[in-house]
Amino acid sequence: MLLKSLKLKDFRQFKGEQTIVFSDDPEKNVTVIMGDNGTGKTTLAQAFTWCLYGETDFDDKILLCKATLRDMLPGQTEKVRAELTLTHKGTEYIIVSEQQYRKTDKSDKPVEVAGQRGFTIMYKQGGQVEYVKQSQLDGRMKEILPFELARYFFFDGERITVMSKRLSQGKGDEFARAVRSLLGLDAFTSAIDHLKKTIKDYDKKYDARSDSKIEDYTYQISNFEQTIELIEMRLSEIADEEVLVTERIGDLQAAIEKNKKSEELAEREKKLISRRDALIVQKGRNITGLLSALKRAPAYFAKKMMRDSLQQLTKTGKTDKSVPFVNAETIKYLIERGRCICGAEVCTGTDACNTLTELFSYVPPKSIGDSIADFREKCKERVRISESMFDDFEAKYADVCACDSEYAEVLQDIADVGKQLLGMDDVGKLQADRKRYETNLRGLHMEKSDCERRMGGLETECKRVETERDKLTLKDDNNRRVTIYKAYAQYMYNTLLEQYAEEERKIREELEETVNDIFHSLFDEGFMLELSERYDVNVILSDFGGSSETSTAQNISIIFAFIAGVIKMARESQKEENGLLVTEPYPFVMDAPLSSFDKKRIENVCDVLPRIAEQVIIFIKDTDGEIAEEHLGNRIGRRLTFHAPNNSKTETYVS
Amino acid sequence: MMLFQGQYWFYGTHADKVKKLTAEFVGKHKLFSYNHEVYQLAPIVGYLYNRKAAQNREGGSDTSIFPDQISNNKDVFQFNYQLIMLLDVNHEASFDARVDKAFRFYGTDKAAMDEELYESYVRGGVDVLYEKLIEPSTSPDDYIKNLYEFMEDFESRHGQNTKEIYDLCRIARS
Repeated sequence: MLLKSLKLKDFRQFKGEQTIVFSDDPEKNVTVIMGDNGTGKTTLAQAFTWCLYGETDFDDKILLCKATLRDMLPGQTEKVRAELTLTHKGTEYIIVSEQQYRKTDKSDKPVEVAGQRGFTIMYKQGGQVEYVKQSQLDGRMKEILPFELARYFFFDGERITVMSKRLSQGKGDEFARAVRSLLGLDAFTSAIDHLKKTIKDYDKKYDARSDSKIEDYTYQISNFEQTIELIEMRLSEIADEEVLVTERIGDLQAAIEKNKKSEELAEREKKLISRRDALIVQKGRNITGLLSALKRAPAYFAKKMMRDSLQQLTKTGKTDKSVPFVNAETIKYLIERGRCICGAEVCTGTDACNTLTELFSYVPPKSIGDSIADFREKCKERVRISESMFDDFEAKYADVCACDSEYAEVLQDIADVGKQLLGMDDVGKLQADRKRYETNLRGLHMEKSDCERRMGGLETECKRVETERDKLTLKDDNNRRVTIYKAYAQYMYNTLLEQYAEEERKIREELEETVNDIFHSLFDEGFMLELSERYDVNVILSDFGGSSETSTAQNISIIFAFIAGVIKMARESQKEENGLLVTEPYPFVMDAPLSSFDKKRIENVCDVLPRIAEQVIIFIKDTDGEIAEEHLGNRIGRRLTFHAPNNSKTETYVS
Repeated sequence: MMLFQGQYWFYGTHADKVKKLTAEFVGKHKLFSYNHEVYQLAPIVGYLYNRKAAQNREGGSDTSIFPDQISNNKDVFQFNYQLIMLLDVNHEASFDARVDKAFRFYGTDKAAMDEELYESYVRGGVDVLYEKLIEPSTSPDDYIKNLYEFMEDFESRHGQNTKEIYDLCRIARS
């Protein structure tokens, strides 16, 4: 299959009708499509799969060009169309996919699908254009390029990453199916499957009339086989689960190593947080102390007024001449009694009487001396309580400030630790997870050995019953004939299986060799790729030192080498006319993230690719244009550029 | 009605400010625990900052001090009253008359003007406390800082030598 052209109409960014013609020149077999990110390289890869299979990976399933939609009126319909012209086994095919869209007046859903996707395959025969019948469309498409294989030929950057991950994670069975199919081993597998079914059918042909035991045995055998099949299925599931669990344990182990530092950090964070909380409590206590000092503020604030008052009272002689708790009534009583408290006689005109009479001016109610005395006492008391007030207050405030500055430091430290911890996982949780997975894995191992033991027992038992039945069947002519036929079928089955295994092994080895050759032409000899029976890929470091490149480049190279290897083998097998493996060569359409590679690798990729595939269509970034031109120059048959006017995300034009 | 007897009320903007001065901030702290604590400090601050304020009823807000709190702290209130009466020369130029206001007229009909003066210093003091402690704050965290600045400012302006006052107390007793 070689691609000739792709005509798109209003497909995503490709506004209006635009045609992309690919180079099918045997010498200049490279088509380079340049465009910056977002101009539609991924869209083009998806246009192939939509045209051929009606499938896309877009989240937004509406394919109609947004720029076209903008110009439409509500109710108006517009068609999205993709037309791919290709040649397959010497016949030119035109494959067309179409979908109608209608603009609505709803703001949340401005466009809706109108009708089914139209799918047509045409081919040219003797100058005439013929249509493949509707009922045969699927079959013909499978013949040209089955969907499950297509994904290995139409790549975009994202898919390369996913695929290489799957391969290096040991999920190669999907790839194994693709390889078998591409390299023509399908015929083998169909024959083997058919023979297996035939052998089973013979079992039903035994005539049980001659001996009811035969029926009984057949029934038992069928039961055994069913059970064995169930166990086999479970074993295969266990194998898959083991791969997943082991991979997860590996990931967790790596994460634990990486996050070891987080344990220390988490410990430090814990300490800081407890210090922070202690400081909050301490600050609260300091503020309480400070505010309790404030309770003495009225006395403290009044000090100046007390001083001024006392000064003035002293200055004006309003001092205290009173006798405490003595008032006019007391003096009056003493004079009338004629005797003082001390016992001295008090008579009118005596000194004692005169002194007492003078006191009338200084004792209440006439005098305010008591009040002044009282005031003075209050001053003394108030001064006493406020004496250390400001010093206490200042000291508490210093504590509050010290606490605040430590608090700020601790907060900063917590933020710093938090920043460092960001992106790190909790090691405790990782370890718990790993332990869980390890338990899970042990469980799987146990179940596996249990299954194998049970299966062994069942197989022995099944063989014994089969022998018993064989003995009985020989007694009856018809049954003896069935046994003989079955033995033939079994023999053929075994022979084919052996031969298939042999062919498959050869292909696998050859593939491994081819892939390694290509891989080595891309990478240095430092790496080896090993292909397991399940087509899992192991990268083996054959010496230390390796490459300075990222693992992305390595992963891309692995997948690259694989696809290129399969295509190369498919092409070569076609040349063996009598070979069992007959397939078509396929084009290689891929996003070549040249920027992921270093200069030497780019040179290698550009050199190897066009020699392996008959047709190469690669997408590159504008910035990689010069590199591609430099290394692919003489192999480039066509150069195309995708450009979006004014960096528009909704319009792309091909030139 | 006589001062320092029965329930005491703040009204209008002053009631609002007293509420804010006694409100809880971070960590359940309060600058003043009770209204009567504001009432103990405000007249002194009002007098020293030379701030008087008329009563208003803006916003219809009010808040009070219960009679038992008034009577429990009557000594302090009365002492403050005496200080202001003794010192406010603008209110009364003669010292003898001021002494009478401080020690003789309190509680009599002659004290009506004096009590009004005292009340206006209380309200002026509430305004000053609010302006110094609450108003400049962007967050309650600032209250403590404002309080310290206020105290520090006061200390530098009116800070007193305690010994001098003790000496004066001694001299006053002849």
